[in-house]
Parts: sequence; structure tokens; C-alpha cells
Amino acid sequence: MSAYIIRRLLQMIPTLLGVMLLVFTLFTLVGGDPSYILAGKHLTADVLANIRAQLGLDKSLPEQFMIFVRQVLTLDFGTSWATQQPVSDIITSRIGPSLTLTGSLLVVDLLVAIPLAATVAYFRGGLTDRIVTIACTVAMSISALVYIIAGQYFLAYKLELFPVRGWSDSFLVNLLVYVPLPLLMGLMVSLGPDIRFYRSFFLEEMNHDYVRTARAKGLSERKVMLKHVLRNAMIPVVTTVMMSLPFMMIGALVLENFYGIPGMGNEVVLAVNKSDFPVIKAVTIYIAIATMVFNLLADLVYKLIDPRVQLK
Amino acid sequence: MSMKRHVAVALLAIGVGSTLHAADMNKVLHDSFIAPETGFDPAKVSDVYSSSVNENLFDPLLTYDYLARPAKLIPNTVTAMPDISADGKTVTMRIKPGIYFAPDPAFKGKKRELTAADYVYSFKRVADPLVGSPSSYLVRGKFVGLDELVAKAKGGRLDYDTPIEGLKALDRYTLQMKLVEPTPGLKYMLAMPHLSAVAREVIEAYGTNTNAHPVGTGPYMLAQWKPGTHISLVANPNFRKVVFNYTDNTTPVAHRVASEMNGKLMPQIGRIEISVIQEEQPRWLAFRSGQLDLVTVPQPAVRRALILDPKNPWRVALKPELKNKGVQFSRYLESEVTFYPFNMKHPVIGGLSKERIALRRAIAMSFNTRETISDIRRNQAVQVQSLIPANVAGHNPGMRVRHPYDPALANALLDRVGYRIGADGYRTQPDGKPLVIDFVTGPTAIDKQWNEYWQKAFDLIKIRVNFRVMQWNEQQKVIRECSYGMAGGAWLADYPDGDNFVMLLYGKNVGDSNYACYQSPRYDKLYEASQRLPDGPERDKLFDQMDLVASGETPWVYGDTRFKNYLSQRWVRGFVPHPVFNVAWRFIDIQK
Repeated sequence: MSAYIIRRLLQMIPTLLGVMLLVFTLFTLVGGDPSYILAGKHLTADVLANIRAQLGLDKSLPEQFMIFVRQVLTLDFGTSWATQQPVSDIITSRIGPSLTLTGSLLVVDLLVAIPLAATVAYFRGGLTDRIVTIACTVAMSISALVYIIAGQYFLAYKLELFPVRGWSDSFLVNLLVYVPLPLLMGLMVSLGPDIRFYRSFFLEEMNHDYVRTARAKGLSERKVMLKHVLRNAMIPVVTTVMMSLPFMMIGALVLENFYGIPGMGNEVVLAVNKSDFPVIKAVTIYIAIATMVFNLLADLVYKLIDPRVQLK
Repeated sequence: MSMKRHVAVALLAIGVGSTLHAADMNKVLHDSFIAPETGFDPAKVSDVYSSSVNENLFDPLLTYDYLARPAKLIPNTVTAMPDISADGKTVTMRIKPGIYFAPDPAFKGKKRELTAADYVYSFKRVADPLVGSPSSYLVRGKFVGLDELVAKAKGGRLDYDTPIEGLKALDRYTLQMKLVEPTPGLKYMLAMPHLSAVAREVIEAYGTNTNAHPVGTGPYMLAQWKPGTHISLVANPNFRKVVFNYTDNTTPVAHRVASEMNGKLMPQIGRIEISVIQEEQPRWLAFRSGQLDLVTVPQPAVRRALILDPKNPWRVALKPELKNKGVQFSRYLESEVTFYPFNMKHPVIGGLSKERIALRRAIAMSFNTRETISDIRRNQAVQVQSLIPANVAGHNPGMRVRHPYDPALANALLDRVGYRIGADGYRTQPDGKPLVIDFVTGPTAIDKQWNEYWQKAFDLIKIRVNFRVMQWNEQQKVIRECSYGMAGGAWLADYPDGDNFVMLLYGKNVGDSNYACYQSPRYDKLYEASQRLPDGPERDKLFDQMDLVASGETPWVYGDTRFKNYLSQRWVRGFVPHPVFNVAWRFIDIQK
């Protein structure tokens, strides 16, 4: 097991190098020149040259890449080109609100979607299955923006059930006051596809021979479903969840924008619009690292769920 | 209108030197920005939102009367308006004693008084290559010896301790500026937040992160900054005693503001909470639900909030449902022009030959600005009629756009100068080469909407157009490098003087603010003559002539000037939009 983990950790090094090369090349080719944004309305050659020198854009591309490598090794991405604030401070302040929303959304989504998916799979073809499947299809065919706009207008503004938007410095206040509405809207968007997706995992497991055998051996339905089907169906669920975890870091842009949540989604879009390369670099690298780490964790969790899985 | 009918002095400082909190710390004003700020170092930032905050944190030498229209300069941290020598090259001002910076650890527990030396340092800093100020145009080439000092720095840090002739503190409170040449527009620049005073010890204490540590002498100080999301300001306990004393009662607005504010101290509101709300719906609903105290009506909400006259953009009223709730409505025509520059160096569309001028005029005559004002602007704009917009010194209300919408005339003009329609139904150049206009545009939905109207215009005169889509910074790059055909542009006044607009076509500003890359000897001669004249009828005459030259040679298609519609909650007192100030926080009060 430890040899496997060490091997996987070592494999991350060339992967990360590839990501760095890709990010650097893409930004250099299509990222745009931020000096034209920072120079303001009265742009002169002098001002432009000063700004380029301060951003390090006057250095050769290999030099710029080596600076990037050093930043990754030290995990110090310098300061934002747009606001001159330390990138680490920006990410630290933004990641909390994003995780508060996306984390609670993920937990509630799993708690609702998995039991519902298991139930409708169990009653496959029945009225419950058909109602839930149709509801999911209808829910999926409505744009996320409609939920967000309509939810804010009716539930917050008209019915005054929630605040229209906002965020505070208190985690508890955020969780109890400001998160519920975007969470609800996020659920409206994610539950439909998730229930259908997980339902297919359960159905696939329920059609396997071992389930028939278990039933033939006289095991109770409860035991068949919870001990056999659920455990095996959890492997693809864990994969899906683990793959989605790194992206929780970048938040939910539209929800954040509409509900005033100062999260990463907003920051990423601002960084892209302003060609703020230090922030783009940091976010990309952190997501790449998180993806690799969560992939490794997913493999380890497989082993925990199903001891037959061999880690090679 | 006589000046006496305006305010004699809007804000009267009846005593300075005492430290007291004018503001009620329990009063909190909630406002919003529609785009993120970038920081609060006055030398480093140039965007509207950062400058809006800086207006309240820092003090330039001069400021504007809050109520006078058109905008009128008044002394701010100085005892009187600048004393200018007969040759116009020496400007002397005396700083009011007893003005203090907001408390900051950099002052080591002592109260720090504002002195003339602070302005000398702050002005030099704007020219410092290491600061990379987007406002360096305000000082470079203006003060004797400053450019030489910058050259000596060779791209490194400026030697602030080397005295220069152009910027001197004659004593603790007397500031003397020696100009390279007379600069009548200097007074406006001295009122810009970028030339506010900062304290050297603060700047040096915070190194490169001065954007997060603004310390000024203004009525507010920064309490919290979450970049791109939230800004909190609190009243500066060291702010000097300033009493509102508006003496102009000639207009209903002035009367209302005077009755609501006179006798009170500045500022009244203890805390200002600013949220960045980019989406229009949450901003509008936040105002409607009382979470915001002020809002500019977002475009989609215009028809829900206002009663419009489709035939007359000037006629507008607040809808009764809002009026009944006590919501207050104010409106202001921005000091701006929007325009479509032609690249005058472009091989197909540029130049001053008869054919090219005719081509540009025909394009100008094919675009229906009235239609876009109605459809895109929702009737919340008026057509630009001249280079200098209304509410700006030098504006001539008698000027009219010389190439109004007339596609038939445009086609006739093109036919006459040889742009013939080919077999494919589109025009070619007079020499038979294909004619395609390279139109640089952005990727957003609103850009696409504008492009549809431009496509329609080009179709009317049978000219092919190629919309080249690129991000905003890339657009700026090709415009500054004169490597485009046509583009969109807008210019919001830096200061309310015509000079700030006529300079947009001055030949030496190519690569800077002259987006059209226009170099006309006739125009440049008039511009240079205007630079030697103070604001007045003689200069206005030159401005009119420049307008006529530019209209004739047509480096731009004139666009529109937008109205800004402000709503404030019933408990807001003393609010009126100002043509120069971005925000009015320090001038208003709330009484719930």
C-alpha cells in the first residue's frame, strides 16, 4: 500500500510539470496583455514599459517560466497584477465562502440524491420511479439561471423568506442565513441529473447475478440492498464525488454572483477578464494538485469499500 | 446665469484644528459598485470604483462645489484658489494649517499634520517609474525639472530628496509649482483624486502594498477591504471641522439639499458599506428590499422604475409605486461622449483624400443613432452633437452633428466618388479592389447587439464589414497601435473642461488617447492655440473651429451620451448627483 502511495505521489511531479507548461503556454498565447488594462485611459509607451517591467513581462519566456516553477515549488505566487494583493491572501479569503456553499451543497445533495436514487431504482418501473424520473427530466431541462433568478425574485424579494443577497464574517450566520437560498437553488440544479446518474449505478448493481443469488439464498431485502447493492454502487458514486471535490474550490460562479457570496468563482472570472496571471496560475496549480490528491484518495477509498480491489 | 446666483462657498470651514467625530457611528450607508475596484493608492489606480473610494479618503488641493452647475472649482486643503503669476508659469498655494492625516501605525501614535511637502512628495510619486502610475500624464512634462529627475532614475526609484524647481515647499504650508509652459487646465488636475496628498512615511511603511493601506486626510478611512467584494469605510476621527453651509437656494434641488444639510458637520454617516454587485437583478432587488440606500437604475429595470417619454429622452418621471414609498429620483447627463473611431492611418478607410472622407461620412450617415438610443439605451441617452458634451466647459449647445442619418445621401455620395457596387451587390474601392471594413469589437452580448445595428448600417450602403472579436485589453492594444479599421470608444470626462475632449483628436496623442490615430495639421494648430488660452469665449471659438474641422474630416462617428438615473431611499438626505464626484457619501446623511 505505502509503495503504491509513494509511486502515485512521484507520478504527480511530471503531471504537474505538464500542467505548468500548458498553463504557461496558453496564457502566453491567448491570455492577453494585462498592461493595457493596468495602464488606464492615458496610455503612453513609457507607462506601458514601466508596467511591463514591474509585472516581469519584459523578461524572456524561459525566465518567466522559471519564475513560475519557483512559485509552484514554494507555493508563493506573488501578488495579483490587478490589485497588488498577495495571491495567497486572495485565495485564503475566497476559498472559505466557496467551500461553505459548495461543501454544504455537496453534502445535502448526496444525502438527498443517494437515498432517492436507491429508492426509485428499487421501485424501478413503478409509479414512484416514473414520477421521480419525469420530475428529474423536467428539472434538468430548465436553465440554472432561471432557478437562480426566479428563486431570488420570488423566495427572497417577494416572499421575504431569505435575504436577497449578502455575506457576513460569521460562519454560523452565513450557514444559517445566507447559504440556504443559494443552496436550495443549487440543489434544484444538481438533484435532477444526480438522482438519474446514481439511479443508473443502483440499477446496474441490482441486475447482477450476485443480487439474484443473495435473494435466492433468502437474505432480506434490507440486507440485499444495504449490504450488497449499496456497497458496490458506492464505488462509481465515490469516483464521481472525488472527482468533483477539487472543483468545489472554484465555487459556483453564478450562485456567488447573484447571492453576493465572495467566493472563488467570482475571483477566477475577474482574474481571467483582467489577465491576472498570478491568480490564474495559483488557482490552476491548486486545482491540479487537489485533483491528483483526490484521485489517489478515491483509489484508497475503493479499497476500503471493497477489499477485493487490488491497488497496483 | 450670474455666478452670484450660484453658491458663494458651498462648504465653509469655520474652524480647523479641533478633533471631533462629526459622524454618528450608528449611521450606516449601504451602496454598491457594479464592477470591482482595484485598490486605494491614488497614484496607482485609475478606475472609477477605486477613485470613488479615494474621493473620500484623500484630499486634493482643490475640489468642487457640491451644488454649483456647471461644476465649479473651490479650494479644498488650500486657503484660496491658486495664485498664478502673470506669465502663467508659477502657481502658488497655501495649505490650511491644522489638517491631519487619519491615524495609522506608521505615525507611531502621533497626529500627523498635512504640509506642502506632502504634495511635493505625492506629485513626484505619480511620476515615479517604479510606481507605474496610470496618472503620470498629469505631471510628466508639466513641472520644471520633473522629467529630468525621472530620466535620472533610469527606470529605478526616483530620488525624492533631490529638490526640483517645478515642485517646491517654500515653507511648511506654502506650495510653489513652476510650470514648463502655461497650463490653463492645471486647476482641474489639482482637483483629481490621483493628485491627492499621501504621507511619505505611510508609503514607505507599506512598501509595495500601498493599495491596501490608504491613509489620507479625507472624511473617511478604510476599515476593511475584501478585494472585488466588499469595502468598509469609517469616519476619520482626525477629519477637520467642516460645516455644511449651502447658500444657493435658487433651484428646488439646492433648496432641498440646503434645508437638509445646513449646519451639520461633514461627514454625518459613521460607516459606509460598499458591496460589489455585478449582476443587475440582485442590485435592483437589494435596493427594493432596503438593503441598499442608493442605486443607479440598472438598464433592465428602467422601464419598471421610470415613466419614459419615447419621443423625448429628457422627459422622465419616477413610477408612482416607488414615489409612494418615498424613493427619491435624481438624474444626470454624464459628462461623456461615445464614438466610433476610424483608424485614420488605415489603408482602406483612413487618410484625408476626398474619397476616404466621403467613405467615412457615408458610414456615419448610414448609422441610425436614434434607433440605438431607443432600442439599446432604452431612451436613456441623447445623440452626441459635438466633440465636447454638455456640462463641460467649452460645450456649445448650438453645434449639430454634420452628418445626420441619411442612407440615401450616403449611397449617392459613395456613387459619386467611385465606390461602385459590384456584381456581388457590394461596393468596391474606387480602384476596383475589394472594400471590407475591419471592425474591432468585443465578445459580450451587448457587443453583439451593437454589431447587429452596425451590420444593418453597412448593408444599407452595400459595404462589407468584418467584425473582429477580441477581449477588451486586446482591443485597446490594436487601437493604440493603429492596427484596426473601426472600433467603439467612450470617453468619460477626467475633469469638466473641453480640453479633456478636444485632446482626443490631437496628433501628438496618437498611441495614447487619440484612438482615431488622427493627425490633422489644421486641427493640431487650433488645439495648440487653445492650450495657451484660459477658459472663455476666445477658447470656445477655437473649440468650435476644431469641431468643424473634425466633423469635416470625420475621424469619428458620433455616438451618444448616457443619462444616469439615481434612486435613493426615503431616509437619505442631501443627495444630488454631481458631474465630477463619483459618489456623494461625504455630503449626505441618513435619517431613518
